Amino acid sequence: MGESEVLFKLFGVLDVTGEVVTSWVIIALVVLFAFIGTKKLKDTPGFLQNILEVAIIKLENFFGDTLGKKSKRLKMCFPFLATMFIFIIISNYSGLIPGAGEFSWFHAPTSSLSVTAGLGIVTFCALHFFGFRTHKIHYLKHFVLPVFFMLPFLIIDEIVRPVSLALRLYGNVFGEEMVTEQLYEIIPIGAPIIMMVLSLLFCALQAIVFTMLTSIYIFEATEELE
Amino acid sequence: MDSSAMIAIAAAIAIAVSTIGPSMAQGKTAAAAMESIARQPEAANNIRSTLIIALALIEALTIYGLLIAFMLISRI
Repeated sequence: MGESEVLFKLFGVLDVTGEVVTSWVIIALVVLFAFIGTKKLKDTPGFLQNILEVAIIKLENFFGDTLGKKSKRLKMCFPFLATMFIFIIISNYSGLIPGAGEFSWFHAPTSSLSVTAGLGIVTFCALHFFGFRTHKIHYLKHFVLPVFFMLPFLIIDEIVRPVSLALRLYGNVFGEEMVTEQLYEIIPIGAPIIMMVLSLLFCALQAIVFTMLTSIYIFEATEELE
Repeated sequence: MDSSAMIAIAAAIAIAVSTIGPSMAQGKTAAAAMESIARQPEAANNIRSTLIIALALIEALTIYGLLIAFMLISRI
């Protein structure tokens, strides 16, 4: 299932595939962009600072809709959610750059189940971390309210959440790539453009859906216990 | 019929059947959302974000079918 070839082994044990290399490049570019953009902060923003400020304000409003505008909760979770959003959307769009998938070292990271499963696990850990941070040990009460026999169902629910987040992202991105490839094999010139234009919309939509569901889960984990 | 042909048919059935239910559900969801936006245009933003979440949750079912189809195809 989407087994990609191993380029080289890190420290002799860790397999480094094309997805890992591409995500390293993406991380490096985002860090570099943020570093250059925030190096000289001014009251009247320059070109790059302006772009970054608008992006952050838009994201803050977007997550504020579910978590509550200017709330403590938003302040706590915003760095995590925004990081996830930026990484996922750039990873999805990297699949549209000409040459993606052709070279062994250049694959869209989110078209691999390993990467999206990693994102799902990180989300799972962050969710409970935020829950424990807000309610301390009382967070465990979440699993036995309102009645005690709900415990097994709520535990299943917690496990299914990251699995479905990971599978949704992987299935959508990988599915789009497969459809584009099949169209390319039928009519090489022209036909794949239809799917690629749709991908422009779907890539952004998947990043929105992933982070919005995460923010709803965080809202549930950090809301007041009755 | 040899086993690879059986697997190919199984993959086709997996994706086809798992598309039918969610597509009907998505149609109903979208229709209801359109209706409520037409009735109350000022609530359009709220309805739109809830609609996207609902569609994504429904779509997950299709994705499970797609995943099974891919798993089957890789066994041919």
